[in-house]
Amino acid sequence: MASKQQANWSPYDNNGGTCVAIAGSNYCVIAADTRLSTGYSILTRDYSKLQQLADKSILASSGFQADIKALQKHLSAKHLIYQHQHNKQMSCPAMAQLLSNTLYYKRFFPYYAFNVLGGLDNEGKGCVFTYDAVGSYERVGYSSQGSGSTLITPVLDNQLKSPSPLLIPQETEAVDLVKDVFASAAERDIYTGDRVEITIVNAAGIRREYAELRKD
Amino acid sequence: MGKVSAAIDQGGFNFDLCRRNEMLMNKAGFKPPTYRKTGTTIVGLVFQGGIILGADTRATEGPIVADKNCEKIHYMAPNIYCCGAGTAADTEAVTDMVSSQLQLHRQATGRESRVVTALTLLKTHLFGYQGHVSAALVLGGVDITGPHLHTIYPHGSTDTLPYATMGSGSLAAMAMFESNYKEGLSRDEGIKLVCQAICAGIFNDLGSGSNVDVCVITKGKTDYLRNYQLPNPRTYVSSKGYSFARGQTEVLSTRIIPLIANLVLAEGDEMEE
Amino acid sequence: MDTNAPHSMGTTIIGVTYNGGVVLGADSRTSTGMYVANRASDKITQLTDNVYLCRSGSAADSQVVSDYVRHFLYQHTIQLGQPATVKVAANLIRLLSYSNKNMLETGLIVGGWDKYEGGKIYSVPLGGTILEQPFAIGGSGSSYLYGFFDQAWKDGMTKDEAEKLVVKAVSLAIARDGASGGVIRTVIINSDGVTRNFYPGDTLPLWHDELEPCGSLLDILSSGSPEPMST
Repeated sequence: MASKQQANWSPYDNNGGTCVAIAGSNYCVIAADTRLSTGYSILTRDYSKLQQLADKSILASSGFQADIKALQKHLSAKHLIYQHQHNKQMSCPAMAQLLSNTLYYKRFFPYYAFNVLGGLDNEGKGCVFTYDAVGSYERVGYSSQGSGSTLITPVLDNQLKSPSPLLIPQETEAVDLVKDVFASAAERDIYTGDRVEITIVNAAGIRREYAELRKD
Repeated sequence: MGKVSAAIDQGGFNFDLCRRNEMLMNKAGFKPPTYRKTGTTIVGLVFQGGIILGADTRATEGPIVADKNCEKIHYMAPNIYCCGAGTAADTEAVTDMVSSQLQLHRQATGRESRVVTALTLLKTHLFGYQGHVSAALVLGGVDITGPHLHTIYPHGSTDTLPYATMGSGSLAAMAMFESNYKEGLSRDEGIKLVCQAICAGIFNDLGSGSNVDVCVITKGKTDYLRNYQLPNPRTYVSSKGYSFARGQTEVLSTRIIPLIANLVLAEGDEMEE
Repeated sequence: MDTNAPHSMGTTIIGVTYNGGVVLGADSRTSTGMYVANRASDKITQLTDNVYLCRSGSAADSQVVSDYVRHFLYQHTIQLGQPATVKVAANLIRLLSYSNKNMLETGLIVGGWDKYEGGKIYSVPLGGTILEQPFAIGGSGSSYLYGFFDQAWKDGMTKDEAEKLVVKAVSLAIARDGASGGVIRTVIINSDGVTRNFYPGDTLPLWHDELEPCGSLLDILSSGSPEPMST
């Protein structure tokens, strides 16, 4: 075989999934579905896409599971070092900057991960940070990322942004909205389904809820 | 102009657009239009005295569900039905065309259509298009010679089987058939197994989903059981519902045209019987 | 996995002449890529009462060729008022294979009996060559069988010897060739007519390193064994 073989292999896969976060005045809701898939197959119906990185910051990620796992491991290690050096938990805005730096560090071989970081800032206000794969980020009132984001974002825009300025819902209303947008996304996006995991961060701590989604 | 008229003078086919498309694909990074694919689970089996066909009802365009309750079991003749997987337009067109050919044939001969006739018409059409008409079919029916079940691939090859599956969910569905199929199933056992096979596709294959359609064909009788099972109800509805405030879109101008003004009464000839 | 790949028969097909007729043999596996689309297919198709055809390569192409040839042979038989010869059948196949060589991807073995020449085997491989042979092997499994046939084939075998040889050869190919499998079908054609035989996959001889046939994992589970995956 003299001729060169073309590499017919990709370092990336897309495991689908959808993430949503909504910031309130004194709380933050971070949610993601629990389906992990590749192509037309479901790998598992019960995979958590959320990770708590610090006391008051939770990361929701969709994209390529292996990259997400590597990213989470890296951030957790960084946070452990931070705790040893400063003897305190990292704040959510600090974690947001760390995540951006981490993503940009791999600018030319990116983590295939679409992240939404949610939590409470130093004043106790809800905060949401939304990212692209190479670290561009922004603090927003709400965000959706992943395979169902194109279906969910316009609904959130309609319910939370109009008429401007931002409509800030009550915590229960926000959770209700999250359940509904996930149920709707599961109707039309084949990579969203099975179950939605919702975490609510507020002054009292962290609460976790689940809602069933379509399983087909 | 000169070029075009020269091409017309030559006669025959003009393949300029093929070259244009090839150029667009290679250089301009142009993406061809996507088709509505029925990433599907379709099945069929022979039971004691007839044929049972089954299908899911999801149609997809890439990762998006284009239709949550489409019909994939197509009518061919009163005693013959056909499940279609592949490009929705192709399965629809090819089954419609063959069913009309069958009807003309019935009117010419005054006899009930046979499954082999449908099979031959379908396979010759598909073979002629060398796999470019992407229709993968499960054809079933009962005729004078008894019950028949066939699969037809996009390239025009056919198989004759006691149980068959097709589409992206075919592996999941075949797993159910291979482990549970027996010769001489009763009607109820047959329907149950078909539903099991379709549900295996619905739940384990992302290209398949929503509801189960079933079609039971026996000698002299066909039961089309549309939405025989509905295993995927809506999971959550917002407790309050949504209200959309009026006046979100600015009205720039208003003009009201009375419909009656445009009505023109004209003399016409009376319709003849 | 690509289930949309063209349907092809990675096959083992065999035709053998014996003292008084011919034996045709084939496995029964039809695959689309890695998936077995049909595990009990019949690759030995009837052309006329006394002529049969073993098909390999593209399922669509070989079916169309055999359908056309069957059609022409029916007309020919009516016009002639007597059965078509094997030679005529083989020549029709050659005609189609050769004149459409750019379109077709199929290798065929014709076998049959007629009153003029007795049992005859013709192989028509890919480009439309025609070869009259005492025995012919074809399909992906045939590469495992050349040496075996050089050693085992004898002139003037009896019917039973020939059929035994065919079944043994197909089972050897099934054991080594991943694209061949399922059951073995044979067709014996001689002056008395045609006999079809069927050899289920779990009754075939076991060759080197082959495992005993066993039921599916589902059977083991229902029979109450607690650890089906334990070694």
